[in-house]
Amino acid sequence: MSRTDERRERLRYVLVATLSPLAILALWAFAAARGWASPIILPPPSAIWASFLDMATNGYSGISLWTHVGASLARVSVAYVAGAALGVGLGLLRGRSRLIDALLLAPSELLRPIPPLGLIPLFILWFGVGETSKVLLIFLSVLLIMMVNAQAGVRACSLDSLRAAQSMGANRWQVFRFVVLPSALPQIMTGLRVAMGTALTILVASELLGGDRGLGFLILDASSFFRTTYVFAGVAVIGLIGLATDRGLAWAGRRIVHWEGRR
Amino acid sequence: MTVAARPLSPLEPGAAPLQAKAKAADAPPVLKFEKVGFAYDGRTIMRDVSFAVGPGELVALLGPSGCGKTTILNMVAGFLRPTDGVAVVDGREIVGPGPDRGVVFQAAALFDWMTVAENIAFSLRCAGARKSERRAVAEEMAALVGLTGFEDAYPYQLSGGMRQRVGLARVLAAKPKVMLMDEPFSALDVQTRESLQEEVLRIRDRTGCTILFVTHAIDEAAFLGDRIFLLNDLKSGAYDTFDVDLPTPRALPENRLHPSFLRLRETIYRRMRH
Repeated sequence: MSRTDERRERLRYVLVATLSPLAILALWAFAAARGWASPIILPPPSAIWASFLDMATNGYSGISLWTHVGASLARVSVAYVAGAALGVGLGLLRGRSRLIDALLLAPSELLRPIPPLGLIPLFILWFGVGETSKVLLIFLSVLLIMMVNAQAGVRACSLDSLRAAQSMGANRWQVFRFVVLPSALPQIMTGLRVAMGTALTILVASELLGGDRGLGFLILDASSFFRTTYVFAGVAVIGLIGLATDRGLAWAGRRIVHWEGRR
Repeated sequence: MTVAARPLSPLEPGAAPLQAKAKAADAPPVLKFEKVGFAYDGRTIMRDVSFAVGPGELVALLGPSGCGKTTILNMVAGFLRPTDGVAVVDGREIVGPGPDRGVVFQAAALFDWMTVAENIAFSLRCAGARKSERRAVAEEMAALVGLTGFEDAYPYQLSGGMRQRVGLARVLAAKPKVMLMDEPFSALDVQTRESLQEEVLRIRDRTGCTILFVTHAIDEAAFLGDRIFLLNDLKSGAYDTFDVDLPTPRALPENRLHPSFLRLRETIYRRMRH
């Protein structure tokens, strides 16, 4: 494929990816204008935009929208970074050491199928309804996802590349650092994207626990007062955060694991 | 010109290791198997296999898939331990992989996340060499295998033949005593394969490296080998040895049509089919 062909292909991709949400939005506006659904159930996009502007200038329940966003982002980033770091570390260790794998197998695999939301009552009991519960809940879900992905990534390392490294004099650490870790990176990058999606889901759920700020709080509060347009605006902000982080991670992934899919 | 394709009788279990050809005969062997056996999962793959390879000698291990030729290679590399007997390199028993024995893999097994130069200099990096030294060696080895100008490319940007050249250069950079090649060119097209075979012979002449070359292609074995071990029945320790006598330099393309080459090819062919 020539360079111009590639550019055209890329342009078409961006075009379709941009037009598809716009088309949905247009259909939605059309449906609302024709009165197909009650504005309480499905308000028109213009009303949601107006609520968003209202929140952006006047805040929500006496707190600026950016404080809500900031509170949510702070929770999610602390939990995400810590959970990913520990999860990747443990996953790599499990992939490399049978003993550590045996040690962690039952605890982690018993925990993994439990929906994190099912742990909320326990977490409230143990850590209260404050920040600790919220952050730990997200942390735990990210950790479990990353552990599985990192461990699977270690398995992706081919026997031949391990042997090649050993026969060129690599010691255990060098084999890990130069061969096993890079082999696991594609899977780890994919895991990071999945975990980010889950982290945002758990974030909103954990903010339903209580507190007076955060996007989850905002949505719950607005819905209990039937302020549907505010619910939608809050949901849209979370969605946009999710989209932006996912695109960012995907972009970083393409740069970091540039060899993936090109072997 | 004498035709020296002479099939020897199968080696008796326990017989003395074969002597390498004239030039290597006086020097102590670089590589020696003494009554080596290997069993896996209770199944005998080989037993009582003995041979010796002299310095600078190129021995082709020829045989159909499943005959155990790769197992021999893996034991020399130190990836597998013999379950019986001893395998010796340079007077020391082989206990594990090491940079004195370099392996060129069938599928190259390059590190996709490293550039060509980083792949080539990997052994130096493991040994703690400085960056400038690694770069210098990488460039030298790249030149040796005809990859000058590709030092900063990634393996996935190269053709199959070029990837194998990186695999060769990577092994040469470690200055091994023995090079182990496991059907390295079997996935390449004929032209690429033949030019790489000539490359191997040139490299051997320049470095004096001892080479064990696993192949299932008679032509490849006859063109490359100083000796050919035809591995008929390793389960009883039996194999045939053929001496190859071709004009020097061995890398001459004409050698592929030399009467002695054609005769040897026919002899082995008949022997394999019997």
